[in-house]
Amino acid sequence: MRKMTEILTADNSFSNDSIIHMYDVWTSYDGKGYTLQGINMSVENGKNYIIIGPSGAGKSTLLKLVNGMVIPTKGQIEVFGRRPNIHDNIFKAIMPKIGYIPQNLGLVKNLTVMENVLIGALPRISKVKSFFKIFPDKEVSDAENVLNLVGLEDKVKRKVYMLSGGEKRRVAIARALVQKPELLLADEIVSELDHVSAKEIMDLIIEAKHRINLTAVMIHHDVQLALDYADKIAMIKHGNKIAEFNPNEMRYEEVVGMFNSYES
Amino acid sequence: MNPKDNLVIGIIIAILIFTSFNVGVDPTQFVKGIPNLMVVVEEMSHVDPTLLGTAFWSMIETIQMAFIGTIVGVAISLPLSILAARNLYSKFVYAPVRAFLAMMRTFPSILWAILFVIMVGLGPFAGILAIIMYTIGFMSKLQYEAIEAIDSDPMEAISAIGVSKLQLIRYVVVPESAPHLLSQLLYMFDYNVRQTSILGLVGAGGIGFYIINYIKFFEYGKAAVFMLVVLTTVLIIDWISVKIRDRYIVKAQKGVNIKI
Ligand SMILES: Nc1ncnc2c1ncn2[C@@H]1O[C@H](COP(=O)(O)OP(=O)(O)OP(=O)(O)O)[C@@H](O)[C@H]1O
Ligand SMILES: [Mg+2]
Repeated sequence: MRKMTEILTADNSFSNDSIIHMYDVWTSYDGKGYTLQGINMSVENGKNYIIIGPSGAGKSTLLKLVNGMVIPTKGQIEVFGRRPNIHDNIFKAIMPKIGYIPQNLGLVKNLTVMENVLIGALPRISKVKSFFKIFPDKEVSDAENVLNLVGLEDKVKRKVYMLSGGEKRRVAIARALVQKPELLLADEIVSELDHVSAKEIMDLIIEAKHRINLTAVMIHHDVQLALDYADKIAMIKHGNKIAEFNPNEMRYEEVVGMFNSYES
Repeated sequence: MNPKDNLVIGIIIAILIFTSFNVGVDPTQFVKGIPNLMVVVEEMSHVDPTLLGTAFWSMIETIQMAFIGTIVGVAISLPLSILAARNLYSKFVYAPVRAFLAMMRTFPSILWAILFVIMVGLGPFAGILAIIMYTIGFMSKLQYEAIEAIDSDPMEAISAIGVSKLQLIRYVVVPESAPHLLSQLLYMFDYNVRQTSILGLVGAGGIGFYIINYIKFFEYGKAAVFMLVVLTTVLIIDWISVKIRDRYIVKAQKGVNIKI
């Protein structure tokens, strides 16, 4: 098998500055059909990469490949120079660098907002202290700041199951920001929010990106939002990447047309 | 009903008749025995109220035994149930732990009590040990089933950021399975009070000791006092646990604040 770097240098669309590389990646959940069918993708450091595509296309699956929750059946992936696998001990050291906001949010509903957000800091906290829920003051004040940013300062002590859908989304975003990731994977984080809140959240992430040199891979349903915020957009349909472009290369109508067209 | 169902029912009835014959089931004796029961009931109605104090204090002892046994047993069963959960540990961990727990459950509490009476002598301590053992076997099973039923979304999302297993347990498994734990704890305590009430039969302390002794000497009136106290206590505990359950657990399921 050729080494990843050889494959990458052989294809000049891959920049060496990329932190995610995928080469002909196929995945299967049931061992029969393929959900993703030969994806090539590369995400450059510091960029905002947005994935769009119809429901069931395989967008969430693609994101889970990046943090090692899904393992490819065929093909190569490297993230921070490692093959992602959530069960692999070498990759464990990389996992704290990757923030992940799943489509279902993955919040602990019986814990408070603050406790959920502090979970993002857990990889940095000593095991004994975290067992007794003792967090350094710095972590707590950081978490408070982030909760201010997402507008949840008055719900800090609330149990998560009592929050609205939009508030839960903000908690999940806050947890990911408190983690101080280098790479943020966000699966439809603004879907349930109104337009103004969606913009607020996106601005917040863009602001964080500038502050801490974050690379982001996001999934969005809203084409306009993708055009407004992306450095690069990929469209996924039926497990294939049918297009990849810079937002200034395509007009809204063209993108929507491609989105809605039957042939892929 | 199809012929196959009829056949199955026919076979069950045949087995029932066969086994009843084997173990000497005799309905006529039951009928003939009714007057005997009447004698006992009549004697029991001569309740001896002077014993009420003793009955009360031995019931208090029983409740204390059940309380210690439940709390210690549950405390030990928690780590065991985590090790036995299939969504947390590999087969090499959960399979032996489950086998061990299954083995513990095969012993009824009265057998544990006999064992501990031999080990540590007569008295409440043996009874407490028996309750602990029974609680471990039983609670662990209830609890690992609760752990396996918790939502996999937060487990996956939080594992993906590279937290340790202990942190995952502390921040996801424990809070997400805690509402079940409270309900199971109540159930276990309720059940353990009933169980402890009969452990005195083998000399392992508690109110059962009086009951068995008075019955041995045909003093049904005196035994009745103790039995009435057990009955009342069990009803009260039942009532209290229903109240607690309604207040905390049912509300929690509806998504109202719960305090754990
Ligand atoms: N855990 C799973 N087991 C089996 N099949 C799955 C699993 N997760 C996803 N799939 C299937 O894989 C396909 C792609 O799913 P995926 O969640 O990646 O789509 P998506 O593009 O994110 O869709 P949506 O926009 O609705 O979230 C779907 O057909 C889905 O049914
Ligand atoms: Mg999805």
